[in-house]
Amino acid sequence: MKKGIFLIICLFFLILPSEVESLEYHRLYNLKEGMNADEIMKTVYHNKYSLFCKDITLKGKVIYIDSPNFFRKRKYIKYRMISGKDGIAYKEITTFTYPTEVKGLSLLVWSYESPQKKQDVWLWVPSLKKVRKISPSQNDDAFMGSDFTVEEVSTRKFEDETYRLIGEKSFAGYKSKYTGKDFFKGRSCFVIEAVPKKKNWYYAKRIIWVDKETGGNIYEEYYDRKGRLFKTIFRKWELLDAGDKKYPTQTTLEVTNLISKHSTVILMDNIRYDQNLSSGLFTVKTLMRSRW
Amino acid sequence: MKRIAEFLVVVSVPLVVVLVALSGFAEEVNQNIEQAGYIQTEIWSKVNNDSNHEFLSSLKTTVDLESQYRLSDNWYFFFHPRYFYDFAYDIRDEFDPNQESMGNTQRTEWLRDCYLDYISDELDVRLGKQQVVWGQMDLPILDRVMPWDLSWWWLPDLADMRIPLWMAKVEYSPSLDSSLQFLLIPDSETTRVGLENTPFAFKSTNDFFKVKRRVESAGGSMNVSLLKPAKKFENSTFGLRWRAFAGDWEYTLNWLYGYSTSDYLYLDALKNVSGYLGSVPVGDYYYARRHKRIQLWGLSFNRSFVDPGVLEGLTLKGEFAYVHDEPTYYGVSGSRKITEVSDKYNYGIALEKYFFTKWLFALQFLQFITNDYSREGYKLLDNASYGLQDKVETYLTLKIKTHFMHGRLKPDILLVYQDDNSGRIVPKFNFELRDDLWVQLGYAHFYGRIDTPNGEFRNNDQIFSKVKYTF
Repeated sequence: MKKGIFLIICLFFLILPSEVESLEYHRLYNLKEGMNADEIMKTVYHNKYSLFCKDITLKGKVIYIDSPNFFRKRKYIKYRMISGKDGIAYKEITTFTYPTEVKGLSLLVWSYESPQKKQDVWLWVPSLKKVRKISPSQNDDAFMGSDFTVEEVSTRKFEDETYRLIGEKSFAGYKSKYTGKDFFKGRSCFVIEAVPKKKNWYYAKRIIWVDKETGGNIYEEYYDRKGRLFKTIFRKWELLDAGDKKYPTQTTLEVTNLISKHSTVILMDNIRYDQNLSSGLFTVKTLMRSRW
Repeated sequence: MKRIAEFLVVVSVPLVVVLVALSGFAEEVNQNIEQAGYIQTEIWSKVNNDSNHEFLSSLKTTVDLESQYRLSDNWYFFFHPRYFYDFAYDIRDEFDPNQESMGNTQRTEWLRDCYLDYISDELDVRLGKQQVVWGQMDLPILDRVMPWDLSWWWLPDLADMRIPLWMAKVEYSPSLDSSLQFLLIPDSETTRVGLENTPFAFKSTNDFFKVKRRVESAGGSMNVSLLKPAKKFENSTFGLRWRAFAGDWEYTLNWLYGYSTSDYLYLDALKNVSGYLGSVPVGDYYYARRHKRIQLWGLSFNRSFVDPGVLEGLTLKGEFAYVHDEPTYYGVSGSRKITEVSDKYNYGIALEKYFFTKWLFALQFLQFITNDYSREGYKLLDNASYGLQDKVETYLTLKIKTHFMHGRLKPDILLVYQDDNSGRIVPKFNFELRDDLWVQLGYAHFYGRIDTPNGEFRNNDQIFSKVKYTF
């Protein structure tokens, strides 16, 4: 009788739908042939938020291409520490360094593991000389006024969409609107369709090209409810040396709104991994040290 | 013209020298020096047509430079001078000579920041001239460490309104997300208000000088002594702030002990009364403006609701301050009779949330409660207007912010409502022409009875524009 119950329990677990396991923090995962859409996208998100490392620092530049001859810029420094403890996925500090009008503006963000939880955000406001606890921006709001939404850059999680593997294809290549250079022509990619779980969201589906070599989502097409393509996002992924490892890293993001014809580019350099950043850096006290 | 020439010599020449020197220095020490600055010109024009003052309120140019020198990973030096010159004081005819002090940077106020920073995981020390800001609200309940420059009422950015002080600030962190701040402030400055007949001179100031002239023309005199605390260690201001988390709530506990940052008018003696002008005795008045020791106990808290539910995305903030023995004016409507200390209980609650994707709504509810509503038969008065005040004064403020054109155009509007149906409405538009060139256009509308804090400026609506070149 006991053996029978044991067998029934074993069978129950065997016939449960196979849920993709959570990926471990501070561990690097590579894409493999034969992965399903969920497994691929989990890896993509793992790489997007650099959850494989302990910490990362970088310098970023946001370029708003208002017209072919008129650009505006923002520069910033970002520090991120991957946690994976106490429900916190990562903490990061972003400080703007250019132009002077926004210089000193600093954001401390705590991002949680729970897919339902929003971020906690503190802001150092130079015009007030104080730290303000602020409401997190809405996910469909423009990220820093750019063509990216907030969720496209910093808040979208694996659990926000459902995924379907369309197939494996060779990428046609992308010509940068900012530099004019061609990227990733002929790269072998998984092509995945992602549909948001939210009803009446700002997009109905997106088609994602995931580079097999880097595990990065190098190209995305956004479609509205009528099936019209309205936005494309290109991300240049590279494998950067980090000690004896090579970490997948996005170094360029380029978004084009096909309706407004406006583009935004984010460039990242001086990227350093695993510098053993102090956890004390990611506290309100750091914002209070601000001088600008 | 002479003043303009002085301005060019006093500001422009040293500025150029400093910029040139720093640019050379920057090459030498490369990444250890960081600098930024701006030149801003702003024009304020009065919209209402009355006789109080002329159309042009201000035509001000400000030069600002910030420099940081990194001595090591733990040590930094920060230096921040700023100078302004208001050409309106050259153009307008009706200013009194004493108002010229409103027309340019006074005394040591050109030095906004000058401090040495030591930073480490456990201990941060900042020594020098600086600003310390307490609290969560956008009106000063806990934000009482620094004196204020109220010569433009509450219209400028708060960081520009605070008058920096020389002090020592020590921040010790016993754990990751908690810290104990200790302040020792041997320096003192007095909260500044607009001089008589300047655009945002308090009604109480204008009324005082009107009476003074009447008394003097009838043969009396009015003498005002400015009495500041002696510069002794025991007259320093001391502050403590504990900041920590209790679950999802971040909170602070605050304590401040020292002389009030504002000075208060006391009538010490009235001698040689020779008659009356209406109800006003004509004689020799001996007034003193004094700072009094006060003690503040307070707390603040905040929490963002990050879990799903009806409160998701909402940020709740609040603060409370109990002020012991704060000087308070009592009298009859429009006339201060006595100054006595009273305890105050002030608190505020704020709610903040984004709606419709990119519209931020920030609502504040604040109450200022004075323990003693009347003294010696006189009623509580507002400091600025000498209007009768309620025991509980309630304020509601609403700020709405958004952005358009990929962040180039940022409009916002601030609505301040006081429970006696007065307040102000200030819409602003900021536009980014280029990375280094920004413009602002705004309007400040005041309404309410003339004896209320905002209503006293009801004939002083202003349209303003600013052009800022940054480098």
